[in-house]
Amino acid sequence: MRQSTPMELRMGAAREGRLSLPGLPRMLTSEHPLPWLLPLTAMLLVFTVYPLIYNIWLSFHEYVPFKRALVPVGTDNWARLLADERFWGAMGTTFLYFFVVLGIELVLGIALAMLLDSDAPGYGLLRSLLTLTLVIPPAITGMMFLLMEDAQFGVLTWALQGIGLLSPDTPILATPSTALAGVMLADIWQWTPFMVLIVLAGLRSLPPEPYEAAMLDGAGPWMIFRKITLPLLSKVLAVAILIRGIDLFRVFDYMFVMTSGGPGTSTYTLSLYAWQQTFSFIQWGYGATLSLVTLALILILANLFIWISKVRW
Amino acid sequence: MKDSDRKQYLARAVDDYVKGRMNRRRFLGVAAQLGLGAAALGSGIARPFLGSPAWAASDDDLMPSAENLAWVKEVSAPFRGTTLKLATESTPPSNVLNGSLKKFFEEASGMKVEIEILPLEQVLQKLTLDVASQLGTYDLYYVDQSWAASISRDVFDPREQIDAKPDLAMPGYDISDFLPALVDGICRYEDRMVGVPYDIPIFIMMYRKDIYEQMGFQAPATMEEWLTQSEAITSEMGPKLYGAAGQMKSGHYSLECEWTSILWGNGGSIFDKDGKFSGNDEAGLAAMAYYDRLHKTMPPGATSWTWDGQGQAIAQGVAATMLSWGEFFPYFDDPASTKISGLMEAVRCPKPASLRTPGECGFGEIPGVGHQGGSSLAVSRNSKNPDAAWIFMQWATSADTQALITTLGGGTGPTRNSVYDDPRVIANRRVGAGTTRHLDVVRETIASDMGSEPDLPAWAQISSDTIPVNLGRYFAGEIASAKECMDQIAKETDRLAAM
Repeated sequence: MRQSTPMELRMGAAREGRLSLPGLPRMLTSEHPLPWLLPLTAMLLVFTVYPLIYNIWLSFHEYVPFKRALVPVGTDNWARLLADERFWGAMGTTFLYFFVVLGIELVLGIALAMLLDSDAPGYGLLRSLLTLTLVIPPAITGMMFLLMEDAQFGVLTWALQGIGLLSPDTPILATPSTALAGVMLADIWQWTPFMVLIVLAGLRSLPPEPYEAAMLDGAGPWMIFRKITLPLLSKVLAVAILIRGIDLFRVFDYMFVMTSGGPGTSTYTLSLYAWQQTFSFIQWGYGATLSLVTLALILILANLFIWISKVRW
Repeated sequence: MKDSDRKQYLARAVDDYVKGRMNRRRFLGVAAQLGLGAAALGSGIARPFLGSPAWAASDDDLMPSAENLAWVKEVSAPFRGTTLKLATESTPPSNVLNGSLKKFFEEASGMKVEIEILPLEQVLQKLTLDVASQLGTYDLYYVDQSWAASISRDVFDPREQIDAKPDLAMPGYDISDFLPALVDGICRYEDRMVGVPYDIPIFIMMYRKDIYEQMGFQAPATMEEWLTQSEAITSEMGPKLYGAAGQMKSGHYSLECEWTSILWGNGGSIFDKDGKFSGNDEAGLAAMAYYDRLHKTMPPGATSWTWDGQGQAIAQGVAATMLSWGEFFPYFDDPASTKISGLMEAVRCPKPASLRTPGECGFGEIPGVGHQGGSSLAVSRNSKNPDAAWIFMQWATSADTQALITTLGGGTGPTRNSVYDDPRVIANRRVGAGTTRHLDVVRETIASDMGSEPDLPAWAQISSDTIPVNLGRYFAGEIASAKECMDQIAKETDRLAAM
């Protein structure tokens, strides 16, 4: 029988929790899962589970300024939610924003990625430039588009009026029929490159064989795209949709900066409404209720999507 | 500025310089303000003075009073090493205190002062959290007038502090020097003073003198006159130039401010004496009809502007008049930032068609076209260092410090009567950045035309949501009639007021 080397002996001892590797604390050589799970579990407890439980508790309370305290209100906040027209309006706006922006960003993202999927000189630079919008804080993007869409001084307004798409007496962000589109524009400008990058990464990893076979069989570009590229990209696209979808459902910055939810309530989203209730009106209980509803909707939609698209992590 | 005034001012400056009463740096600044090229003075400096008030910060005559600093040093001895915290909105007094003046206090007192400059909503969040938790994170509270009712029990009444700690009372601090109208309008709730008046943005009438002369108009004396003049200008000069600029962004507090000014100017009020919303009564609807007409004289973007957009419209020469915050006036005079330096004039607000008395209104509302948005500064009852905070508060709101704030802070309106007559403030009455030539109008407006919003705990929500959201819906065409809009506001407001 072969005699174990010293290293094998030490590794065996370490596996059994009897010996530390030289220079490492004993805990870091343990094969027991507990020490490895503890930091993550602690972080989850502190930053996720506790806030979630506190938020649920808060939704059954309300801050009363004159008492300087949170008082129990039972299910009042939840009942109020059902009867609150502003909540339902915000929910509708959030869904509309979510579907339209996601759809446009996805289509544009795929189209631009396919255009940029080349090794010709200059394309690398173009791909790099495309990422620049992603490093701008959304609030700054909101300010930029606020100025560009200003009815008096805005370059975008001027351009749209110039080509006859906008009448001079229609301020984009102060007209209910155009305000949401004005905000969407900022989002699409900033985040389409994110879609492009993800799709581009997917495109670059696709195997060449199916394309070669399809071309030999005489398939056209549209057929190849529909029957090969899209199915092969489906997992990548699902991830992109999931990430952007969650972001879109929580959209806040653009509305806050560009429209304050107006005109009227036409650009109120769930996040903006929850923020307003929590921080402007100091209705912490109702704000928590609105946040929980947003969270629940995101969880349901995300899991539904994962199930439908068969994404496996 | 007239040529004769300019020459006189220059002559005085030369006299002061020759006799050693003015240093070279200051003299060059004055000369540049008067439009003299540096080459003409033989200095060889090529870059013209642009009128930034920051230059004055190092001037000898703009140093805090040595007497006051000596008092600070004396009474602060037990508090050396203490750190004081204040969360405040970005207003001229806070910016000047933070940027230029607090270092003098820190040096004299041995204390450290941390001033967090934040958007108003974040100030409210921090203040509310501090009040609720009673942690005393902030020693001083910046209290917007609309929070005075909610916060009144959480701060010291300065009169109590003076009586309780006479040894910490600043000599000559004189609470009666604060403009009485401001004390009533900003920081009095029931019989308590919620701090002392700290800043006072207030609506005054500003108009383009050149356009008015061209049109053969006098400065608007009444609300009706302002409207007809605006209509005439828009009709004559639009779309290049409009009669008025507005701050009508849906859902924003600015829209509520403009609406209340128009409501009060047309004989209406927000609440009646029974505490019910009265914007939907006859006078309230007349005000809405007036607002509709005025809106038509404004540039199309007015419904997307807060006061910033409104100010820009004037600064860029797009509109001829605005009834808005007087703090814009010094900016309009800045030749480096606007096209209209020297062309704007400030006058008192147009006379209202009729005006309700405070007795006819509810919740302490004081009708007046000169809508004020002032705030107070108060020591928190939760502070761990209330005495140290009280020393800082007295120094920061003393007449001497206020005069410096007004001079360095670009002509912001003082809250003390004596500061308006301070020679340092008067010296800045000339066309240029940071001018104080509008401050007489501000003082008269505070005394005679000032309108104050009601004090009730739900006012923050009513003023920044209920009213501007529904008005926004109306002006965007989502609500069919003014009556319907006002009735909707009445329904929501009365529910919130009763909570």
